[in-house]
Amino acid sequence: MLSQDENLWYKDAVIYQLHVRTFCDSNADGIGDFRGLTSKLDYLQELGINAIWLLPFYPSPLRDDGYDIADYTSVHPSYGTLQDFKDFLAAAHNRRIRVITEMVVNHTSDQHPWFQESRSSRENPKRDWYVWSDTDNRYQGVRIIFVDTEMSNWAWDPISKSYYWHRFFNHQPDLNYDNPAVREAMWEVMKFWLDIGVDGFRLDAVPYLIERDGTSCENLPETHEIIRDFRKRIDLAYPGKMLLAEANQWPADVRAYFGNGDEFHMAFHFPLMPRMFMAVKLEDRKPIIEILEQTPQIPENCQWCIFLRNHDELTLEMVTDIERDYMYDEYAVDKAMRINLGIRRRLAPMLENDRRRVELLTGLLLSMPGTPIIYYGDEIGMGDNIYLGDRNGVRTPMQWNGGWNAGFSTADPERLYSPLISNPVYGYQAINVDSQRRSAHSLLSWTKSVIQTRNAFRVFSRGSIEFLNPSNHRVLAYVRRLGEEKVLIVNNLSSSAQAVELNLQMYKRHIPIEMFGRNLFPRIGDLPYLLTLGPYQFYWFRLRRI
Amino acid sequence: MAEESFLADDFIRQLMSVGEVDLLVGIPSYNNASTIAQTLHSVEESLRQNFVRERAVILNVDGGSGDETRQVFEQSSERREAGHKGLTSLRTIHRISCMYDRSPSQGVALRSIVAAADLLRARACAVISPATTNLTPAWIANLLRPVYREGLDFVAPLYVRSRFQGLLARDLLYPMSRAVFGQRIRELYSDEWGFSGRLASQCLEQDVWREEAVRTRPEAWMAVLAGSAGLKCGQYFLGPKTVSPSATGPDIVDAIRQTVGSFFWCMESNQPYWMGRSNSPAISTFGPEHELSADGIPPSQEKMFDLFRSGVNELEPILASILTPDTHAQIKAIALSDRAKFRFAAELWVKTLYEFAASYHHAVLNRDHLVQALVPLYRGRVYSFLLENANSSPETMEAQSEILCQEFERQKPYLLERWTGKN
Repeated sequence: MLSQDENLWYKDAVIYQLHVRTFCDSNADGIGDFRGLTSKLDYLQELGINAIWLLPFYPSPLRDDGYDIADYTSVHPSYGTLQDFKDFLAAAHNRRIRVITEMVVNHTSDQHPWFQESRSSRENPKRDWYVWSDTDNRYQGVRIIFVDTEMSNWAWDPISKSYYWHRFFNHQPDLNYDNPAVREAMWEVMKFWLDIGVDGFRLDAVPYLIERDGTSCENLPETHEIIRDFRKRIDLAYPGKMLLAEANQWPADVRAYFGNGDEFHMAFHFPLMPRMFMAVKLEDRKPIIEILEQTPQIPENCQWCIFLRNHDELTLEMVTDIERDYMYDEYAVDKAMRINLGIRRRLAPMLENDRRRVELLTGLLLSMPGTPIIYYGDEIGMGDNIYLGDRNGVRTPMQWNGGWNAGFSTADPERLYSPLISNPVYGYQAINVDSQRRSAHSLLSWTKSVIQTRNAFRVFSRGSIEFLNPSNHRVLAYVRRLGEEKVLIVNNLSSSAQAVELNLQMYKRHIPIEMFGRNLFPRIGDLPYLLTLGPYQFYWFRLRRI
Repeated sequence: MAEESFLADDFIRQLMSVGEVDLLVGIPSYNNASTIAQTLHSVEESLRQNFVRERAVILNVDGGSGDETRQVFEQSSERREAGHKGLTSLRTIHRISCMYDRSPSQGVALRSIVAAADLLRARACAVISPATTNLTPAWIANLLRPVYREGLDFVAPLYVRSRFQGLLARDLLYPMSRAVFGQRIRELYSDEWGFSGRLASQCLEQDVWREEAVRTRPEAWMAVLAGSAGLKCGQYFLGPKTVSPSATGPDIVDAIRQTVGSFFWCMESNQPYWMGRSNSPAISTFGPEHELSADGIPPSQEKMFDLFRSGVNELEPILASILTPDTHAQIKAIALSDRAKFRFAAELWVKTLYEFAASYHHAVLNRDHLVQALVPLYRGRVYSFLLENANSSPETMEAQSEILCQEFERQKPYLLERWTGKN
């Protein structure tokens, strides 16, 4: 039984996001699998992360990278067996690494037996497990999410001769959560995995569970009822397990998904991510400050999840039109870099492989309030391939070394599920784990060190944040505070050297101690505290009163 | 001993915090607490609407207001756009201010503005008056855009004028500057204008900031400097302009002292530039055609002729030292004419002004007194103008203005002759 504090493990987590397919292939079939992943757990432990978020690994026709699930309680044969998963889970737990899995609750694949039964006849008992209609006029005005591929949220089913509702691809019919049987079935799925030992679920596409006429069919009260019901069951039967919401909404709208601490434990803070990129490009802290000022307080037992990049496009749904145009022009000049309302690029290429900016943004990610997520490969500065279609360009094999298939697989290169990144700048010969392990100054070594520093001070994961507002807007400065523990973070968002005067009167007589070199800085006195920072430089200081 | 920096440490500190910018909008102020917040919002709105991605700073330079103008500027909260979950512009629109402790002066304020533009490496700048009550975001954009996007270095405003507004500009300053400096800038003297960072840097290097002409009306000097440096000038039609009732302009004596005095000083200090110019090519003009509006009430003509006549009498010895005997005699002759049939012809008016300019150059008497001696003659010219044009259409008046401009240009050799000859 975990203590009350240990139940909040997700607050202290540094999450590493990966797809089992991309990480390591143990059986030379060109596709990563659980045995391969298990073999790389030492690396992840060494990196300092303490949770893994796995993308869908269930049986699936893989028309949406596994988010089209055809069987919720099994493992896709390409990735191994259920026993392989159990072995991986045990090995991760042995290393004090928790495992979060994907739970795609909103929809299934059209190949799922539930849908096959549902479409087979109007009288089938599972007919009402999905949302059917004789016309495609219902729920008019509801936005289409995949604007590049879908014309309507309704798709015609020639078998049962009626329309079914889908918020994502037309091969992903939405489940009908007005039907209690669907809820029970999904709870059975969750129980299956919780019994095996997973530590939490990332619930995909949460806002879209319920449909109602005359609404946007998003964030409806009935959806929250369903979440509360799942949460209640989990708290009773599986205390310490965590629910993470994927709700790509404004913070004020996402806030509802925390409820009174009785819905999700965590939710992604989507709008913060593009604004971190924007702030660095604009050399102005305003986008970050402004969105965090718009972010409501959340219950004590809840936490935001923050990230720089992930397996999807860098979503630009939660920005204004002006901001979106700016992001496109600055980060995705080539139209091939754009998909839907977003940018399909990895961290390093987006930042023009500028180590200083990669470090600055990673430093921001790890020092802001919230649980950070690191996308696999970003810790070594992996590149992308925007010509692979959909979002596959950011889902290429992990680059372990400069040898055969980057150490990812011993299969023939032609057999790999995806081509490796092989260009001279980001290719596996140049960017790989082994070579970066050899250098104390590599991005990998730096990332380890910064994660280690974060993990050593709980103030980062649980502390409050207070923004300082120096007149120099190119500098973003804040104090994280937890009890007597105080950390001062000062970031130069600009490409040129900056001087900044900080009002630290509240911390008068404290001594700033730089956290990476552990050097003392002049004691804070009566005058504004003057710091100079090089281009994109940042400081983390412990403030100690000695 | 080197001159001590005219920029206060606190101001330098603020500039340091702002860093490099693309755009700078300067707002000189003096007791404008009632209007400066609205001005500020218009500027911010303009930057938000028209220069979304540019780095911008708004600078208030206050002349020691007693009504807390500067505090209102600093504390006025940024207006939030509707929608977008309360999010505002892409960037921080910086807002800084400084104060100078001498008497209010456009020139002193401008010096701080151009210094800021130079230090912040601003590419385009505008000066905006908080006394203008109908300032719109479009105005500011129209002054900045030709500089920022079209590469101009000086942008003067064009306002909608009624038939009887702006007579000093239309009958003296514009045609004379067009003939002398070869610049077809209609509103050489205004409270709003745009300029480039390059011009700001050149202005800053000039050792003229203590000159009265620059202290009072620096904008004309700036335009002439731009022309003399071979920089590109233009003008933008802004529309009608209204000013705060509390911002009463100078009376005609002060207006002539400031504008004509400044104009003659510009001639004096830019001789090599204008003496060789013989034409006035058209300049880039943006926005609708410049037109006079048909409305407008003529100014009171009561006493105008009497003041002209008494001035000619009372200032006879002074005018005798300024004007040639022939010109002086012609003026005395028309002063004796019947008030209903009075005419101050364009030819005589141009000759008179050129002789005043030459006498200013030769410093035949105190230059300020010399300029003031022009006041009664200007009244006579205006009286004549009003008699002639009481019922004229705007088109007719525009045509007459053009004829006057051509007269100034025709007589320019006479100016050169008087200017270079011994008095």
